Amino acid sequence: MPMTFNLAWRLFKHEARRGELTIILLAIVLSVGAVLSLSLFSERLQGALKSRSAAFIAADAQLRSDKPVDETWLLKAKDEGLDTAKQVSTRSMVFKGDAMSLVDLRAVNSNYPLKGMVSVADAPFGAKKDIDALPASGEAWVQSRLFQTLKLNVGDAIDIGEVKLTVTRVLSDIPDAGFSVFNTDPIVLMNLDDLEATEITGPGSRARYVSYFAGDTSNVKSYISWLLPQLNDDLHSWRTVEDDESAIGRSVASAERYFLLASLLAIVLAAVSIAVAAQRYAQRHFDPVAIMKTLGATKQTIRKVYLIQILFITLLGIAIGLIIGFIGQHIVVSLVADRVDVSLNVWHWRPVVIAIATGATCAILFSLYPLLQLFSVPPLRVLRKDLDASLRSRSIQFVASGGAIFALMWMYSQDLKISVILFASGAALVAGLLVATYFLIALGRKLGSGKMGPWQLAWARIKRRAMDNSVQLISFSITIMLLLVVLVMRNDMVSQWRAQLPEGTPNYFLTNITPDNQARLDRHFADQNVDINEFFPVTRGRFVSVNGEGVNTEVSKEEESSNEGRRGLGREANLTWGNTLQKENEVIEGIWHGNVDTTYSEGWFPVSVEEGVAERLDIKMGDLLSFNVGSEIVETKVTSVRKVNWQTMQPNFFFVIHPDAMEAFSPTYITSFYLPTERKEELTKLLKPFASVTMFDVDARINQLRDIVEQVSVAVEFILVLVLMAGSLVLIAQVQASMDERRQEIAILRTLGAKGSLIRKSVVFEFLIIGTVAGFMAALANELSLYMLQTSVFQMTASLHLEYWLVAPAVGALVVGILGAIGCWRLLTLNTGEMLRKMV
Amino acid sequence: MIKTSTVTKTVNTSEGSLQILQPISFEVKSGESVAIIGASGSGKSTLLGLLAGLDEVTSGEIYLDNEALHTMDEEQRAVLRGSKVGFIFQSFMLVQSLTALENVMLPAEISNLDNPKGLAMEILEQVGLAHRAHHFPNQLSGGEQQRVAIARAFITSPKILFADEPTGNLDAKNSDKIEELLFELNRNTGTTLVLVTHDNDLAAHCDRQLTMHAGELKETTPSSTSPSEVS
Repeated sequence: MPMTFNLAWRLFKHEARRGELTIILLAIVLSVGAVLSLSLFSERLQGALKSRSAAFIAADAQLRSDKPVDETWLLKAKDEGLDTAKQVSTRSMVFKGDAMSLVDLRAVNSNYPLKGMVSVADAPFGAKKDIDALPASGEAWVQSRLFQTLKLNVGDAIDIGEVKLTVTRVLSDIPDAGFSVFNTDPIVLMNLDDLEATEITGPGSRARYVSYFAGDTSNVKSYISWLLPQLNDDLHSWRTVEDDESAIGRSVASAERYFLLASLLAIVLAAVSIAVAAQRYAQRHFDPVAIMKTLGATKQTIRKVYLIQILFITLLGIAIGLIIGFIGQHIVVSLVADRVDVSLNVWHWRPVVIAIATGATCAILFSLYPLLQLFSVPPLRVLRKDLDASLRSRSIQFVASGGAIFALMWMYSQDLKISVILFASGAALVAGLLVATYFLIALGRKLGSGKMGPWQLAWARIKRRAMDNSVQLISFSITIMLLLVVLVMRNDMVSQWRAQLPEGTPNYFLTNITPDNQARLDRHFADQNVDINEFFPVTRGRFVSVNGEGVNTEVSKEEESSNEGRRGLGREANLTWGNTLQKENEVIEGIWHGNVDTTYSEGWFPVSVEEGVAERLDIKMGDLLSFNVGSEIVETKVTSVRKVNWQTMQPNFFFVIHPDAMEAFSPTYITSFYLPTERKEELTKLLKPFASVTMFDVDARINQLRDIVEQVSVAVEFILVLVLMAGSLVLIAQVQASMDERRQEIAILRTLGAKGSLIRKSVVFEFLIIGTVAGFMAALANELSLYMLQTSVFQMTASLHLEYWLVAPAVGALVVGILGAIGCWRLLTLNTGEMLRKMV
Repeated sequence: MIKTSTVTKTVNTSEGSLQILQPISFEVKSGESVAIIGASGSGKSTLLGLLAGLDEVTSGEIYLDNEALHTMDEEQRAVLRGSKVGFIFQSFMLVQSLTALENVMLPAEISNLDNPKGLAMEILEQVGLAHRAHHFPNQLSGGEQQRVAIARAFITSPKILFADEPTGNLDAKNSDKIEELLFELNRNTGTTLVLVTHDNDLAAHCDRQLTMHAGELKETTPSSTSPSEVS
């Protein structure tokens, strides 16, 4: 065994046993442990959330097509190891005797659904329960509303095209039913084998063919890359969990970005703690290096010995860190198991690789400068203790540590934007802190003079240890800033999610309310103590022309009609009228017609168009739109365009016409109300007097949404707690490291007869000053990074967080001061003689 | 064994350059023991650092066992120190995280000697500390630590031994013991000894005494060396 290895091993063994490596080891253990537990947990959580959102498209990916898809595509998917399923959906008439109703027909094969569950109820509008079965051939499962409209009972037969099917169950829901509250017909679920016999999917039919795919992410990805080039944009559309644009999809996506952010910050925290520890490690080894050099060790020997030692420390730190990280995430998962659906059964390698890479990169790159300093210690130090390392240039340190942090962020996030934002604000903070430190030192010169009280001692120390303090100040500030970013991001994000679905969000919608029924319904609900929302008049109308040019008016659920001619809505529009702009509607062009005091009796009437539909149908301000309502043509002119928040659970409309236009028509009304889940049984009683009114139950959907938002919030909170814990540990390590340097000074002060209270106060004051400045700087830098993160990564509205400008310095002073006091108390309990001996 | 010729040392301070050593020339013969005495700040430790190759001269020449120390870089000087020089310091300068035995083995290992452990045990036996071989420095008394340092200094059988206030941190009783041990080993091994001290008793044990005063060196005891060799 070569001498250098032996020596390194011996030094490592003894120093580890004597606790001299504890701080640097702890820093590596902390970084590896924190990164592993955080990213393992977040990976598991993302997996869980993804599979939950996968349930909303019944698969990991969906291919929708206007024509049956090539069977070889499905075979190829199977070859790639994917599960597949098929569904054909179309709108069709269902008959029971003379009664008929338009339904949303879904014919599925036996594999459906690949994700999520079909749910049924024992009776119409009854409680839903998941079922692992599908209608057999000859059967149909239909939704409650069809039981209402066709006066069905379980066991009755219904006609669909040329086929007669027996209704065997009340269908509650299917995973990919969709979220649309309006224009939704009751779903009829049937077996795909029966579809051909219905003869409703022949040429010219409006059937949509959906293929479902599920499997390993990598398999799905490779299949997508094979399939996408073969798709025809006019015929096919492709949808995966990731491009889910719903409220859930967006919540999950921003949660994922948050986890990523939190893990990145954990990496930076770890890096900061390793940097502090490595500096201290190097300083403690100045003497041994000088001795070895004096005894004839060449630079190369010293280099080898210490690089090998760092390697030992890194390996041990990584090993312990992995164990602790693994145990940590196990504890977290078991703590949240009853609230969040996270499984421990899946093993993810990526977090392990990331954790090891973090530990190794941080340990090596952050030790680089301290080690180079160590190697440069002159042998003459054996005679002159005041001689330090001869390496003075800090640029190597900034380049190495900055490079390490940036490389890790980029490697981990694979997102240049987040990495650049965090890195830039970190760099701005460091620059600001350097300026602040110099300012502090200048201030200290004034305050530190005069009679030696604790304040004077504190300032004098800050002044004297200028460079050390600036490093410490920077590390405290970065730690506090990172904690602030994680905390504030979490608060802002969770409150925005929750605001989407506040308590009391309407969970039932009523349509087909005749004007006669409207007042009665209002009274009846008031008697039953149920708050009912605004009534919107609605009438169905066909959108027939734009500026005299006819549009495709075929009634069809297809919105992406590929027929010739100007694109139409493809179905009847729900027209409403009124002068009051609805909540969460914003006029982005033109003037809202309610704000113009004119009466219209002939010619055209103002209409307000929703932004999305205007874009899709190429409607511009000032265009003349004609609607066919009943047998009348209503001429309108676009006087405003609205932006509508579709995420609100309220009726929203593409077209809102001036009330004057609709005076001649008799509308029906729609409204919504909120009924707490525990009063669900009262529904039948509530609606019994109004047989013609149709009810949409979105309670389950809302609960599902809220459930996911809650789970994501809980998960985010746990991540926050984890990061806070990691941050606190880093702060403790930093204070401990600096206490070590203070040992000598405290010993001298004690020897000179300084009272414990003077020393304690001076140390606490010093930490209070540093904590306050660090907190304040952190609050400033936090604001900068939050602004950049919220506007360019999280697509949120950025806001100022002035309260943290006060909270951060106060908390910084308090925490750092308390930690300082504890560390100092420990030192003061040591015997002065013992301290002095250790100095030698 | 040691030959210096008009050696000077100047350092740069914030107030300009400061000459710590005036031109110094002297010779030390093989096997001779020389004490450099002088008040604090007189420059004796600086001279010791230069003679031992721990520091670089500003001008002048130093030959150690006929090797031109002043032309060597730090790496070459380290190799020379490892093979020919031993050190004893006032503050013992033991590596705190190595045991007594490992501290003694260190120079032997650095110089790639065979069986460093055997050699170290043997020499620890000689200094009477074999029974404390596996103790760490902080578990040893000052006198014991200095004996470990002496054992470490002699393990490579150096031609020259430099000692910087070897009894400076010890009480009278321990000082005597260390002194005795040092000179005994010196005699037995025929090592050339250069020691820096302000202890006149210790200096009196040496063949020659040189006095440093404000960076100048003067011969204070008659010796075989002619006064002209010291300037």
